[in-house]
Amino acid sequence: MAPVIVYSEEESWGKQLLTAAKGLGDPVLFTFNRNVAEKLSGMYTRTYYVKTDSFDPVAISGALRDVVNKESATILLFPCTNKGRMIAGLTSGALGFEAITDAVSVVKTGEGLEVEKLTFGGNAMAKVKAGDKASVCIVSGSYKETEEAGSTGELVEIEAKAGSVEVEYSPRKMEGVDPTKADVVVGAGRGVKKKEDLEMIKELASLLGGAWSVTRPLAADYGWADSWIGISGLVISPKLYIAIGISGQPHHTMGVRGAKIIVAINNDESAPIFEEADYGVIGDLYKVVPVLIKKLKERKQQ
Amino acid sequence: MRVLVAVKLTYDINQLKFEKDGTPLLDACPRVMGEADKCALEEAVKLKDAGKAEEVTVLTIGSSKEHQRILKDAYAMGATKAVMVKVDDPDSLSALSVARIISSYAEKTGPYDLILLGSGAGDTHSSVVGPMVASLLGVPLLANADRVSVENGSVTIVSTLEDGQYKFTSKMPAVVTVTSEANEPRIPTIRDILRSKKKPIDETTPEELGAHVSKINIESIIKYEVPRKRVKIDATDNVEEAVEKLIKALEEEGVI
Ligand SMILES: Cc1cc2nc3c(=O)[nH]c(=O)nc-3n(C[C@H](O)[C@H](O)[C@H](O)COP(=O)(O)OP(=O)(O)OC[C@H]3O[C@@H](n4cnc5c(N)ncnc54)[C@H](O)[C@@H]3O)c2cc1C
Ligand SMILES: Nc1ncnc2c1ncn2[C@@H]1O[C@H](COP(=O)(O)O)[C@@H](O)[C@H]1O
Repeated sequence: MAPVIVYSEEESWGKQLLTAAKGLGDPVLFTFNRNVAEKLSGMYTRTYYVKTDSFDPVAISGALRDVVNKESATILLFPCTNKGRMIAGLTSGALGFEAITDAVSVVKTGEGLEVEKLTFGGNAMAKVKAGDKASVCIVSGSYKETEEAGSTGELVEIEAKAGSVEVEYSPRKMEGVDPTKADVVVGAGRGVKKKEDLEMIKELASLLGGAWSVTRPLAADYGWADSWIGISGLVISPKLYIAIGISGQPHHTMGVRGAKIIVAINNDESAPIFEEADYGVIGDLYKVVPVLIKKLKERKQQ
Repeated sequence: MRVLVAVKLTYDINQLKFEKDGTPLLDACPRVMGEADKCALEEAVKLKDAGKAEEVTVLTIGSSKEHQRILKDAYAMGATKAVMVKVDDPDSLSALSVARIISSYAEKTGPYDLILLGSGAGDTHSSVVGPMVASLLGVPLLANADRVSVENGSVTIVSTLEDGQYKFTSKMPAVVTVTSEANEPRIPTIRDILRSKKKPIDETTPEELGAHVSKINIESIIKYEVPRKRVKIDATDNVEEAVEKLIKALEEEGVI
């Protein structure tokens, strides 16, 4: 079988993309995270671990390109994240591969890859033919994580050539739990009127043992948080996402489509978020959330 | 220094409507210069205002009146030259083709110190064209800039990625992609708009540039219906009861 190269720097992505890769060929992992390399090398046919001390997209893409050439691979899979898109674009540009993003399914046919992808900000689904040499960025939650080992897993260590970009990195400050890793995420939107009111959101999150986050305006415009959920922010796939005072613009909801269950609390019955929710609570968040907190506390004590 | 900015004529997806059968009504959808592309242009014009850039060339791919319109808008914002790469159906070009056109133009008319693009196109938002242009030209990529600064032949950007904040610095020439958070694009004055009407638009074609292009084969495109349960719980009157209903449902789903 022809190799399919998966780029991932995270365990969860590595497992989701492995499922996608298995349907297309022989899965080979490329990562610069040693932890991921060690954890997942038993699941992939081969794992390339690139030693590098910083995320310089050009240097990393250069190392990936060498691996693609060595493996004679024609299909590359990436997470549909900001970083994934960057590396996919750089690598495909250099190799002359097409790059398709926002994919939810990838199938190999006689004429090359057939991809279903979201477009127009997640409002529409397109079916495209991607040719036989392509990089595909896959939306989180499109594929289930592979759990079983089942490969002998050769681990190859390579060194990235130094790039010409200076990189300074400050890790995302996380108050509490990381939304990308939590089982429950509570999201606040502009329906939450004051920064103090976020306390209520945080309390709900901690009662559910989960994380909290916001929509982009709350982070980027008001500065109430360091990160946000959505197409230009974090992509999450928790078991439960509770969207509070969020209208449900596709830019936001594309970041939560991987959630198993979505609850929306909004006082505008016609808010688009209700189209994207399993349980839509129509009501004033300032009335609903305190009661929800109270009842969850009671439930805990029982 | 010389700056090249690529801007796309994009569908304003907030106004996109669909036919009952899910077909997008693209012809009825207003089109605008991509939001992030406008911010990229604003960064370029700021460099011109600061006396750091002499030339701000704006390029778009397409051949319609609306493509002309956004180039005139770019002139009104302060671009010094506008170029239309004539392609009849630019929306069907693959990302690689778009990148090849932009990089061939840059090679043919360059060297440029800085090539600016939007971090993602307003409608299709693939965010791969900028990175592709960087690798086709063999210059550093600084992507997703929320802030851009240019000093002594170097460019520095601040970029928010999924795992934190990055500051990338490199010598120019470089490709920089700019997010819609980077600035508030200026609103041209009436005088600037009137003046822009008379400015010339250069025309070229992918063939003239020697850019090999291919179309992406779109088989179908329909409204995306999210597969969700859409159970409504009314909490306008009886909040207690509604919340109990919700908790019960979530327990049954096994998510709390
Ligand atoms: C290129 C691009 C990328 C973007 N990327 C992202 C992204 O990654 N993430 C993101 O979130 N956004 C993103 N956006 C912005 C996005 O389009 C929306 O503007 C944003 O998500 C809206 O945030 P919101 O739902 O908090 O606010 P609003 O749209 O203002 O919605 C507020 C909601 O709260 C409800 N409400 C008000 N008061 C109450 C109350 N008392 N009780 C209950 N409900 C109440 C209202 O009915 C309304 O539905 C992006 C935009 C662009 C152009
Ligand atoms: N047809 C086009 N004409 C000019 N520039 C484009 C075109 N398509 C994309 N771009 C540029 O590339 C950026 C990223 O596009 P994309 O990778 O498609 O999200 C856009 O923000 C534009 O700056």
